[in-house]
Amino acid sequence: MQFVADAIVIGLTEHAPLVLAAMGFFLLYRLTGLINVAYSETITLGAYFGMWLNTTFGLGFYTILLPAAVISGLISVATYFAVFKPAKTRNVGALEMIIISLGLSVFLRHALQFVFGYPVRFFDVPLAGTINVLGVGVGSFSLLALGLVLALSFGLYWFIQKTNLGLQIRALASDDELAGASGIRPLLVTVLIWFTAGVAGGLAGAFYGVGSSVAPLLGWRQFLLILLVVLVGGARHIRGIIFTGIATGIVLAAVSLQLGQILYAQLILIVAFIVVLKVRGNPSADTAKV
Amino acid sequence: MNLGWLDAFLVSGLFFVVMVIGLALLLHLQLGLARIANFGVVGFWGIGMYTFGVLFVQVDWPFGEIWAFLLSVLGGVVMAGLSGLLIGWVIADLDIDGMLVGTLGFATVVLILATTQQNLTGGARGLGGLRFPYDVGAVKANESLWLLILTVVVALILYYVHRVHRVPYGRLLTALGDNEPLARSLGKATFRTKLWLFTLSSAGMGLLGAMFGVMERFLAVGNIGIEITLAAIVGLVLGGTARVWGGVVGVVLAVGFFDIVVQSYLPLPQEWYTQAIPVFREMLFGVVLIVVLMFRPFGVLGDMRRDKIMRRAHGS
Amino acid sequence: MAAETTVPLDTRPRIHLEKVAKSFDGRVVVDVDDLVLGNHPIEGLIGPNGAGKTTLMRLIMHSTRLDRGRVALHPDGPESPPIVLSEMPTHHMAHHGLVKTNQVIMDFEKLTILDSLLLSVARSKDERPHRLFNEDEVYERRAEDIRAYLERFGFPDPLGYARSAGEKKLLDIIRCLLLAPRVLLLDEPAAGLPEDVRDRMMDVVKEKSASDGMSVVIVEHDLEVVWSLSEYVHFMAEGRVILQGDPEEIRQHDTVIEKYLGSEHAGS
Repeated sequence: MQFVADAIVIGLTEHAPLVLAAMGFFLLYRLTGLINVAYSETITLGAYFGMWLNTTFGLGFYTILLPAAVISGLISVATYFAVFKPAKTRNVGALEMIIISLGLSVFLRHALQFVFGYPVRFFDVPLAGTINVLGVGVGSFSLLALGLVLALSFGLYWFIQKTNLGLQIRALASDDELAGASGIRPLLVTVLIWFTAGVAGGLAGAFYGVGSSVAPLLGWRQFLLILLVVLVGGARHIRGIIFTGIATGIVLAAVSLQLGQILYAQLILIVAFIVVLKVRGNPSADTAKV
Repeated sequence: MNLGWLDAFLVSGLFFVVMVIGLALLLHLQLGLARIANFGVVGFWGIGMYTFGVLFVQVDWPFGEIWAFLLSVLGGVVMAGLSGLLIGWVIADLDIDGMLVGTLGFATVVLILATTQQNLTGGARGLGGLRFPYDVGAVKANESLWLLILTVVVALILYYVHRVHRVPYGRLLTALGDNEPLARSLGKATFRTKLWLFTLSSAGMGLLGAMFGVMERFLAVGNIGIEITLAAIVGLVLGGTARVWGGVVGVVLAVGFFDIVVQSYLPLPQEWYTQAIPVFREMLFGVVLIVVLMFRPFGVLGDMRRDKIMRRAHGS
Repeated sequence: MAAETTVPLDTRPRIHLEKVAKSFDGRVVVDVDDLVLGNHPIEGLIGPNGAGKTTLMRLIMHSTRLDRGRVALHPDGPESPPIVLSEMPTHHMAHHGLVKTNQVIMDFEKLTILDSLLLSVARSKDERPHRLFNEDEVYERRAEDIRAYLERFGFPDPLGYARSAGEKKLLDIIRCLLLAPRVLLLDEPAAGLPEDVRDRMMDVVKEKSASDGMSVVIVEHDLEVVWSLSEYVHFMAEGRVILQGDPEEIRQHDTVIEKYLGSEHAGS
């Protein structure tokens, strides 16, 4: 029983940023229909900028969260204008778009090292006291972080599903010509989506970074799992992402606890998700072109 | 044979370039012709390398070393081929997202297995004890001979690709990548074709991986990262995804430039070589992908010119 | 109007659709209770846009899944044992002698005209990964047919690419003809073809049907083509086949035809 409690608590606190990152990624995926590999760098850059603000100006973690998030959002928008919008104008194919995003991801991941240096960096935050949750010692820090992450995730979900602006975003995602004709301004909404996705990623990055270390591969290490959570969980509804993300976190914790190695947990999840995707098959198989 | 003139770095640099050319050529068949998106090249390359290494070092072969060597290499090739069969089966009827996830997922699994199975693979510390199957003198001489052997292997791959473009099999692959539903309506078994293509080309990647393991005489987990896949993709895209010589030209321009020209011949400050140059290299590779695919998507050599091939073959 | 045929009528292939239905997004697109195609060498399938004609063709080819029902091929006449097409993948159809052309232009952009034709004539054993020297062999085997088609339709540059929509449409049809089908489904073959090419295409279809025993079902909006080629016409509307008969009979249901197809084709 304690094991279950351990798994749930650790799963939620350590892997909560996964849910946030997955929602941000989902926003972009739904809008563009394409996988943006460079999204993992908004996560990484959120961590780096957060760390930089923290160590350079001595600001506390909660103080740097908002600016780090905003900077990530702006960088995300910048990548849209610099790379993705021009590529779309040139009618770049779907496969080529993914490769371009891979190129951008690799570029950002290495360019940042010339700005922030090569060595691994760390946040400079005081050691928080531990709170006992269901028999597990959890840093009060992580707990508050979890609360924030979940609040933001649900907030995003509510924003997308229930608000007028969210409706416009969803309309744009399904048909941008039609949306444009009904008075929605595609460019504004598109920029908003890229910004929001960047904010989500940046926040997730800050939480990842404060929990461990800030390294160039921080975001890339999470990318595959984020992608799998979105593809498996988000196929029908944005709600699915929250559930799948939380479930993934708990499974990661449970398997790591049981087998003593988080890599095994990742392996099991990767295989499981791919099996689900394969079994689910290709929904477009029904609409024939010949 | 006096090889004093031959720089040791040059030999390993050339080895890497030739190997990546081989990977790019195989990737050309998958991605350039049949439009199978393989983001996990390093996985098939790596599983070939590790299977070879583990078999060679960990198994107590009852016969002579040359046979142990050959069987281990064969094991690596077969393992890579079987992986290609499995992953090919998973992704052959999936869309681009599925292909990305399937191949990237496989590469990640290979990395995880190589890292965690320490008893077999040495884990993060790596595995030594690999040797060349011959001894012709100094290390440099052995390495040069191995480079020569690799060059022969890659030249054969190049010849294979060249022939494929000129026969019905290549035409089928091209049609498949171009318009799969239309090819199916003409009775072509597209799933099976993609499956066997992926199996064979993955086996080839595994062979190159095994040969790399021999060259390094060491298995290091650090090799199983995105860098190998990236080098192959960048080379192929830069040269021309759809052309026989695309991978050759692109890899020489991109990887060759950095690993040989910059490494050995440009007079740059010494301390740049540990971090700055490798990081800058990857950064530039990223830029190359973006710029080429946006402005000249068919690479340096341009689009496929089947009309030229056909005129030469059937012009009368 | 019936073409002289060397192949007796009762050994020609039939396609039998039983209780076949297909809906898209809740809307019934095809609902056919019992339909036999191929009782006559060349049959027409006409009807207004959205009648379900192309979907019906795709259901026969199984490139679209059936919601219910069965499509069977009787390869050697109505009494021959059926091959259930609706249980097979699309790429098996050509092996059983069933091919379909495309209503919308479908082409291989990277292949030259001759490439397309050679692709068609290549068998699966010619296309194995180890066959690296068999290009000439594959070409020679069907060189006569290929050259005959190229000459007949006068492609200006067969070693180049198909440029105009008409060329691509024609190429689609020739690819199918080269597969020597037993049943050929033509989906709006005349659309986009200049008149003289259209006529040449119709002649070829008529000849092949007569000499090779190929059954043809032609979906067409160009009614000149339908009346002149087919000996039997099926009229489809709203997913069902509501009229069947020879061209004269169909033309004479002028109230129905007028409503759907315009008065210039009603009557005689």
